[in-house]
Amino acid sequence: MASLRPRTTPLRALRSIQPLTRPSPLESTLSARPNIQPATQTPTPIRKHSTSSVSADELSHFSGLASSWWDPMGPSRILHLMNPLRHEFIASCLAEGSTETAPSPSTPNSATFNYLDVGCGGGIFAESLARTIPLDPNTAAPTPTRAASMTAIDPSTNLIQIAREHARMDPTVDAHLRSGKFKYLNTTLEDVLASTQSPESTTTTTATTTPPQYDIVTLFEVLEHIDPKTSSPLTFLTNCLRALKPGGWLIGSTISRTVPSFILNQLIAEAPWPIGVVPRGTHEWSKFVNPPEVKGWLQEGLMRAADTGVSRGGAGVAEGMSWKCVGAVYVPGFGWKMVPGSEDWGNYFWAVRKGV
Amino acid sequence: MRPISRAVLRPYVCPSCRHISAGRRRFSSKLDAPELYDVVCVGGGPAGLGLLAALRASPITSKLKVALVETQDLHKAQSWNLEPTQFSNRVSSLTPSSVSFLRSIGAYDHLDVARIQDYQDMQVWDGQTGSRISFDWSMETSPFEDMRTVATMTENANLVRALLRRITESGDENLSLFSNSTVASIENGSDLQPEGPDLSAWPVLSVKPTDPAASTPPTRIAARLLVGADGINSPVRSFADIPTHGWDYGRHGVVATLALDNPSTPPFPAYMRTAYQRFLPALGGPIALLPLPNNHATLVWSTTPEHASYLKSLPTPSFLAMVNATFRLDMTDLSYMMGMDTPSSNTPSDSSHQDELTWRIQHTPLPAHIPPPATAVQEGTVASFPLRFRHAAQYISPRIALVGDAAHVIHPLAGQGLNLGLADVASLARTIQYAVSHGMDVGDLLTLERYSSERYLPNAKIGGACDLLHKMYTVPGSGPVAWARSLGLETIQRLPFVKGFLMKNAEGY
Repeated sequence: MASLRPRTTPLRALRSIQPLTRPSPLESTLSARPNIQPATQTPTPIRKHSTSSVSADELSHFSGLASSWWDPMGPSRILHLMNPLRHEFIASCLAEGSTETAPSPSTPNSATFNYLDVGCGGGIFAESLARTIPLDPNTAAPTPTRAASMTAIDPSTNLIQIAREHARMDPTVDAHLRSGKFKYLNTTLEDVLASTQSPESTTTTTATTTPPQYDIVTLFEVLEHIDPKTSSPLTFLTNCLRALKPGGWLIGSTISRTVPSFILNQLIAEAPWPIGVVPRGTHEWSKFVNPPEVKGWLQEGLMRAADTGVSRGGAGVAEGMSWKCVGAVYVPGFGWKMVPGSEDWGNYFWAVRKGV
Repeated sequence: MRPISRAVLRPYVCPSCRHISAGRRRFSSKLDAPELYDVVCVGGGPAGLGLLAALRASPITSKLKVALVETQDLHKAQSWNLEPTQFSNRVSSLTPSSVSFLRSIGAYDHLDVARIQDYQDMQVWDGQTGSRISFDWSMETSPFEDMRTVATMTENANLVRALLRRITESGDENLSLFSNSTVASIENGSDLQPEGPDLSAWPVLSVKPTDPAASTPPTRIAARLLVGADGINSPVRSFADIPTHGWDYGRHGVVATLALDNPSTPPFPAYMRTAYQRFLPALGGPIALLPLPNNHATLVWSTTPEHASYLKSLPTPSFLAMVNATFRLDMTDLSYMMGMDTPSSNTPSDSSHQDELTWRIQHTPLPAHIPPPATAVQEGTVASFPLRFRHAAQYISPRIALVGDAAHVIHPLAGQGLNLGLADVASLARTIQYAVSHGMDVGDLLTLERYSSERYLPNAKIGGACDLLHKMYTVPGSGPVAWARSLGLETIQRLPFVKGFLMKNAEGY
């Protein structure tokens, strides 16, 4: 466990991390503020979003973590360690339905999938996936995730800026940013869906749903940060499904609301150093969601997403729903491991495939 | 035409042409940007070449753009050749796990098998107390199987040539070998804003030819991951500001290639070969004789620098007498012979060392497990090198990884140095494969810590064990230390499972 050992980051490590911690105008305003702020004070640079599922508290918490987001020994270390598992889980989903997905792949292994990462934060997953996009689209995909493009969105201006700055430090990712295969957008899912609607289609009655554009929508460690007071997970998940092409996957990870997860995530993980591995206030146990809840919302969401102006989706859409769920456990000193069955009491990955 | 007249011929440049020249300037500023590589390895020894060969052999990492910088001539190393009866004095033992790594990357097939020698038994005994241990796999092998190999002896040049051939075989796409080149400087790159990426955390190497007469300008290359396989005084390690701890043993390793007499009893089974090591507390370290093909053997004798220079000054017959005496005589006899006058060059027929050996051996009971007498020394192979212990404080730093001697140097008494280096390389290659297949940056600390956590402890363990053995076996006399170590040796010899455990540990299973 990182925080159990003394911080022996070598000198050079500090030097090379420096570009990250260089005070940008945004951060200086952040660090100037006291750590504990009155609830009435609104966090500094937040865009006003129309109908967003984003809660202001969550936004200010994660914006405050921005400067240390990419520090491998920093507060986000445990997220960094989880990242390879996300790739493995996506690969296992794609392996299941590889023959049917993506209507016209020229070669079986070409990189054809367009990804949307919702709530990308500082870009841990988005950047790692963008790194696997081949520079030459005609070559075979280097990994089973077969990404052709990645759009990553987050409502926090700070985090998007940190993500962009960090992406520039990898020439491959930088090239994708320049070519537009990889995009960071400081926006919300709702705005993404709205912006894809062409102005005239909003006036007509037939096309209230937009042509979906993404093969895979990812939602890692996002669901447990949705504020049930301002937005409902059902609406949010329905919107995610609306962004998917038929046959596409919605893939996410979250935490179950159980007694063990309360002890692990609230008492132990957020305990003061040297026991805790997660900054205090990262999680709110009451917002955690259990797999059956996710599954229920997704069934309902699939039906709603299938609704068009002229026809209702109906229960048939949800019946054949392919649902995948597997637990993941963090063992200090060994890292994250997939443990089937542990989804009922701790962290878990889930996935659902939209009908073709 | 002299350049000056050109300016005269060009009094006016139209605006569109100015635009072109501006464009050209932008192009030239791009030339200032270093060439980008995924993995740059400094040092073309067995570790560095092993890493490159492993990366080229795996389908996951074979597309990575890799470079290697080596001061020696790699073409010469690839075309290295010796007579079948001649052997280089730089020889290493490969444990079975190193051999299986070389097989897995397809390099073993490129070894000249006529020049390598497996051995199935190792006799180790204490020159002070006579207690003995025999390392072989007989307790793990059924009588109907072939004897299992303890280790495989190979010349380093043979191994380097095999690895180079393997790398050449993989094609030259995405591969740059900077042969005869040194690293003139390593520094952090710069932010290529607004046209390019931010390379301020990337190490940028300036590589220039070793030949001072060469006029080619230094090549600048940037590394996503810079691997230091550049030996004990690693420049990569200094760039990364990684301190290293350790000490000098105050001992030298004397090496030589010897021809042996036929064994008095032919080995059974016929392919069976034995390595011999005798600890000599009074002379400062062990002497070892490791088998090479055609009844040759390589000598590694760890001793004090004074003894080492004495041995190197001896004429061949006296040197041979000393070697044969050291496997046979008492500590007292040996100490006396080490103090004898060096036969001067004008009396080459001086046979005082041989005479001394012949006379003293009549009065010494000989154990059964001694090597056949050495009969000849291959000319020019007697050499020595200082023995040191070093361990880097870390193996990794952002975009830096150290492997082999750059990370650790250990006492050679167990022949583990090269094996630890190859194990590092196997681990680092696995780590890079994992990173590539999971979208990780191969130079990121989060990637590299997998390598460091896999290798740091095993290397410290083996290095520490060799250090402990050295220290135990340099206490002269028959005091409590001598009693304890012979008790320990006899105990291990009688408990097969303890011996098996130690041997497996030594082999890196």
